Amino acid sequence: MRRAPLLVLALALASQRAVALDDPAARTRTTVLDNGLRILTLEDPTTPVVSYQTWVDVGSGDEARWTGLAHLFEHMMFRGSKRVPGERRDALLRERGSRGNAYTSSDVTVYFEDTSAENLPLVIDLEAERFRNLVISPEVLDTERQVVLEERRMRTDDNPRGRMIEALLSLTFVAHPYRTPTIGWASDVEQVGVEPCLDFFRSYYAPNNVVISIAGDFDADDAIARIRERYGSWPRAADPPRNPTREPPQTGERRAVVHLPVRAPLVGVAWHAPPSGHPDGPALDVLSEILSSGRTSRLQRKLVYEEQQALSAYGGYWELRHAGLFYAGVGVRPGQDPSRSEALLFAEIERLRAAPPTAAELEKAKRGFEVSLLGSLGTSNALAGRNAEELLTFGRIRPLDERLARIREVTAQDVQRVAAGYLLPEKRSIVHVLPGNGNGANGGGAR
Amino acid sequence: MRAAAAALAALLSLGLGGCALLAKPAWEQPPPPLRTGPVVDATRLHRSELPNGLRILVFEDDRLPRLAIGLAVRSGAAQESIEEAGLATFTAELMGRGAGARRALELAQVVDDLGASLDTSAGWDSMGVTVSGLSRDAATLFGVLADVVRRPRFDPAEADKVRGELLASLEGQKDNPAMLGRNAFARALYDGHRFGLPAEGSPEAVAKLRAPAARAFHARAFSAGNAILFATGDVRFPELLALAEAAFGDWPRGEPPPLPPAPPSPAPRERQVVVVDRPDLVQAQILVGHEGIARSDPDRVAALLMNEVLGGGEFSSRLMTRVRSEAGLAYGAYSYFGMRRAPGPFAVSTSTRVPEARRALDILIEELERAKSASFSAAELEAVQRLAAGSFVLGLETSGAVTQGLVDLDVQGLPADSLDTYRERVTRTSLEDLQRQARERLHPERAAIVVVGPAEALVPALEGLGPVRVVQP
Repeated sequence: MRRAPLLVLALALASQRAVALDDPAARTRTTVLDNGLRILTLEDPTTPVVSYQTWVDVGSGDEARWTGLAHLFEHMMFRGSKRVPGERRDALLRERGSRGNAYTSSDVTVYFEDTSAENLPLVIDLEAERFRNLVISPEVLDTERQVVLEERRMRTDDNPRGRMIEALLSLTFVAHPYRTPTIGWASDVEQVGVEPCLDFFRSYYAPNNVVISIAGDFDADDAIARIRERYGSWPRAADPPRNPTREPPQTGERRAVVHLPVRAPLVGVAWHAPPSGHPDGPALDVLSEILSSGRTSRLQRKLVYEEQQALSAYGGYWELRHAGLFYAGVGVRPGQDPSRSEALLFAEIERLRAAPPTAAELEKAKRGFEVSLLGSLGTSNALAGRNAEELLTFGRIRPLDERLARIREVTAQDVQRVAAGYLLPEKRSIVHVLPGNGNGANGGGAR
Repeated sequence: MRAAAAALAALLSLGLGGCALLAKPAWEQPPPPLRTGPVVDATRLHRSELPNGLRILVFEDDRLPRLAIGLAVRSGAAQESIEEAGLATFTAELMGRGAGARRALELAQVVDDLGASLDTSAGWDSMGVTVSGLSRDAATLFGVLADVVRRPRFDPAEADKVRGELLASLEGQKDNPAMLGRNAFARALYDGHRFGLPAEGSPEAVAKLRAPAARAFHARAFSAGNAILFATGDVRFPELLALAEAAFGDWPRGEPPPLPPAPPSPAPRERQVVVVDRPDLVQAQILVGHEGIARSDPDRVAALLMNEVLGGGEFSSRLMTRVRSEAGLAYGAYSYFGMRRAPGPFAVSTSTRVPEARRALDILIEELERAKSASFSAAELEAVQRLAAGSFVLGLETSGAVTQGLVDLDVQGLPADSLDTYRERVTRTSLEDLQRQARERLHPERAAIVVVGPAEALVPALEGLGPVRVVQP
């Protein structure tokens, strides 16, 4: 049954007639079990899909000794539990037409299953089973670490863009754990044993560190009752350990070069920026749009279209829980000089630091942001994910109109101010991926 | 019943202070019966045809104030000659670079100002233009669509820019090992036929493309009788029909484009091994395959189900189980039919650390041989039927996906109700259908084998599989 919307959102996207729509945030219910497990439910009978997501508040940014552990552990969650051994879980879900997977980031680990309402009890039972009764055997861990090492070879070692991002993060962060790749350094993945995995499971996979988010075509009362039954006796754990390290201020430009046999060189740049929820966030979002949304955006227009130096050019604000980045990148055309692309990129950045964007640019950027926000409400998976992410990041689900209001308030001067304040030449880190002997390419762990 | 059981459990849980009498886990219960029947909400779907032959499809969805409108034609890269390979992509890209009274940046500006997007694209069998944005901008968005479809400018200066971009992009593709593998595989199967080159064309041909060639290709491909106009989102059918009549009512019907020459079959005729030499790579990209089937093949559903069991993408497939879960050799192992109007390729692929390339390849070939030997079980058939039928609606959650599916049927010339009958066709597939598809469609003994990686290590490892040829990227 669909609940009456508590709030009708007026999307005053321009001076013309406003667009009204229900804010999913207002229709979302929060339930907290005695053991601290948080459950978010959003019923939407207009879709045939229900998305069941389990968000664990742990990511590679929480790793201490073993890099890649959060992600390797995510893989182990698919390799069997006490009552549902081996690959049986996957077979049970697939033969009911359910689709699911998982991913790990710097801040979170997310398990999702998109399915039809009739399969929801099965999904709940299976998720509760593996979160409570996971089995980690040395044999399976050995196989799975090989799978992860192959994933690393594919995404990073043999992928110029992957190598660029890895180099850029470790150059930009000298202290904060965000400097290590989420997939981990190959040598750590090769050597980590069962015991650290079990420690990790006990520390972070506890009800008080987990959010279950469900959206789509389902009955929330039924689902909550079943979750209560299956997860209710899962014991709460001590507050999970967090890394205390904060990034010290950067005091000069940093540069690194990665040599690979590439045809198209890459330029990547990053500046430190505030973490999620900072008041400067909306202005940085608008700045991102102005720089790289659409052919008429500053970077695309200059580097790709007018000067024909680049295959792609982009810049954007990347907000993480404990620190943020503003990044920019250029995929340089084969045969062109990456230094020229870098100079053009920095000239555009300096132009925004020196003068505010035009009123038309500002309006276009806000509109672009708002339209893409609307586009992110289209599926049960996106809705469930957004709810969980908001709760974990902000402790609440921010209403859409609040987010839009913050964007609408951004002035041209704000954009210039954040550009001038964060995108300082002496605080940037720059990586070039240049054609050359692929000597470094074998450092990824092929044995 | 489900609700009642859950409510009872909740009561018990309250009454016993948390020590609930747990119901039997759902995995011990049999799966619910398979659902068949229509999947497209007919009350929201409207079709029409203008007197000039332009087909119109509107799928209404007012949940969000958004709108996507587009037009697709039944012409694409398959219709190009080898000498002009890339012309469809070049034409499509150039159509988005200025139309009607607006030059390239002016066109981009009107779209960007609305927070909208304009995409022009070309595939093997179709070309298309899509404009999406907010529904209250419908008139402007429609005007952009009509201009781009009917009045592209084909400015020579823009043509030079686009050509440069496409050439740079083709060269840049060589940095992607998986792409190198796919391109070498296509050439191994179809050398001398258009399918032997990427859909985006060859550098030699693209270097010669100029604006007049695009203008001529556009004139042949884009006409009312060869097109379908579609819209989805917060729009009413009569409203859209009126816009369509005004903008496209006088569009000439045109001639249906000739069918392109069929690709060679069988392809290849005998086993061949191609090594694309990339000494720097730590992971070998591996492809094994041969000719596949056409999109319109009456056996398509049975072939797809057979493929799903073999390596259709789920973790439970035979290839994933053996290569990933058991041997830890790869992040993924897949099989797929490239569905085109003319028969496209069938390929099995994986990527593994270079020293294990041969072991992985042997498993792929073994699994192809096992599939051929009547090895499918009734349980495998039932599982894959449940997977295909059960997950089908998940892929049709958004109205954009439904519309895309319906337009795809149209450009391929397939029955308009194919989405609605799909699950029924899945459940009708028999075990013998599956065995026959494997027997008749899989040919490991004469497959092309492509491996991208360091030739020095790979060539000795691949000994005994067939004649080996080393090529440069």
